[in-house]
Amino acid sequence: MDAKKVLACKTHEVATGQQKIVKLGNLPVGIFNVGGEYHAMLNVCPHRGAALCEGPQCGTTQETPHYDFIYGQQDDLVRCAWHGWEFEIKTGEFIVDRSIKAKTYAVSVEGEDLYVHL
Amino acid sequence: MTTIIDCDCHNYWMSAEVLLPYMDGIFKDFFIRGEQPGPVGAFPHGHRPWLHPEGFKRADINPATQEEHYSLMKEKHLDRYNIDYAILTGDEALEASTLANPYYAAALVRAYNDWMVDYWLPKDSRFKGSLVISPTDPHGAAAEIRRLGGHPDIVQVLASHGAQRPYGDPFYHPIYEACAEMGLPFAIHLGGQGGVNSNPIGAGPTTFFWETHALLPQSAMTHVASMIAQGVFEKWPDLYFVVIECGVAWVPSLLWRLDANYKALRKETPWLKMLPSEYFKRNIRFTTQPLEQPGTKVEHLWAILEAMDGENTLLFASDYPHWDYDSVESLHIPPQWRDSILGGNALKVYSRLPQPKTLAKTA
Repeated sequence: MDAKKVLACKTHEVATGQQKIVKLGNLPVGIFNVGGEYHAMLNVCPHRGAALCEGPQCGTTQETPHYDFIYGQQDDLVRCAWHGWEFEIKTGEFIVDRSIKAKTYAVSVEGEDLYVHL
Repeated sequence: MTTIIDCDCHNYWMSAEVLLPYMDGIFKDFFIRGEQPGPVGAFPHGHRPWLHPEGFKRADINPATQEEHYSLMKEKHLDRYNIDYAILTGDEALEASTLANPYYAAALVRAYNDWMVDYWLPKDSRFKGSLVISPTDPHGAAAEIRRLGGHPDIVQVLASHGAQRPYGDPFYHPIYEACAEMGLPFAIHLGGQGGVNSNPIGAGPTTFFWETHALLPQSAMTHVASMIAQGVFEKWPDLYFVVIECGVAWVPSLLWRLDANYKALRKETPWLKMLPSEYFKRNIRFTTQPLEQPGTKVEHLWAILEAMDGENTLLFASDYPHWDYDSVESLHIPPQWRDSILGGNALKVYSRLPQPKTLAKTA
C-alpha cells in the first residue's frame, strides 16, 4: 500500500538541531533537521512509550578502546525525554541495541512544504 | 562421573610463625619484634570491628597440631565427599590488605605464598593454590603474580573483598595485566573488612556479627559493577573474575539495574561494547557458598539462579572448615545443574586443572 503523504510543516520551522513536534491525524511525530536533511520519527519511544522526540537532539561519545571521550554524531541522535535511550534519527535505531527501533517515516520537501509519508 | 571441585577450601596455620623462614630483612624484624594484633603467632592485620561470638570454625574440626589441619581436612572433607580438587584459599593471609603499610603487607603475602607452595601443595595431589596478593600495592602485587604465577599448581590470584576502592579502578589494573599475562583468574574472597579497608558496609558500621555477615555482599556488588564499568573485561577479554563467599541471590537484581542504567547512559563509558550482563556472563563467576536459603520454597531461589544463568556462572564452594560450611550433598541447586556447578564450570575457569579424562581419585 502506498504511504499517505501528509503536509507536516514548513521547512523554516525546523532549524538545524531543533526538532518540531507535529500532530498528523492521531499520530504525534517529531520532525528533525540533521545537517540540512529532514527526518520524521514517531514521538513514541519503543522502550516505555514516552515522548521520545521531545528529548534533546545531540551527539554522543564514540566507541573507543581506551579511556577517551570522543564526542561525535553531533545532532544525529535524539535522547528519549524520559529514560535517555539514544536513537539515531535517520534510522530510528537504539544505539545500544540496534534491533530496537523507533518508528521512522520518509520525508519529502516541495518548496517550503515538508511532507511526511505515513 | 561428576567432577567435584571445591573452589573455597581454607588451609590454616597453627601460628603465623610458620611464615618466619620465608621472611627476611626489615619485615622479618617487624614480624618478630614489632607490634602484633594478638599474642605471639598472630598475623599482622587491622581487625574488623565485628567479632564472631563463637569463632569461625566448625565445632567438630579441632586440629591440635599443624599436621592435623591437613589430616582432618582429608578425613572430614576431601575423602568424605570425594573431592577431586580443592582450591586452597588460605585464611588470615588475605587480611594483609588491611595494613596501612603496603610493603609490609607485600612481604607477608609473599611469605604466605611460599609457605603454601612448600607446605600445602605437596601434601595432596588434589590441592591447587591461590596466590594471595595485597592490592594496596598493585605493582608489588603484579610482581608477586609474575614471580610465582607460573607454578603449575597455582590456579588463581586472590585478594580480599574488603578494599580501599572499587576493584575496577585503574589503580588496580597492573594486577589484571599480570593475571592476563600468566593466564590466571582474579578472585576476591570475603574478608579484609578492617584497617584501611574502612567501608565494607554502606551507611556506616552495623552492630552484630550475624547482621553484618548478611550485608557484606555490599562490597562485592560495588566491585562487580566497577570491574564491568571500568572496562576491565574490554582490556582483558579472557580474564575471569571470581567472587567467593559473597552470596549470589542479589546478582540478577544488580545486573538488571546495571543494564537499565547503561542503556540510558552508555556515553559515560564509551569503551564498553556489550551490556553489563553480557560481560558478567562472559567474565564473572560466583562461588555458591553460603548459598542463600529461601525458607520453604526452593523454587524462589532457583528462579533467581536461572536469571543469572547459574548453570554456567556458579562454582561449587564449601568454605571448609568454617561455621557456614556447605557440603556437596546438601547443596540445594537444580539437580540437572549439578555436573556444571560442582565441577564443569570450574574446569573452564581454572584452565590449569587437568580435564576430566585425566582425573584420578587420590583418596
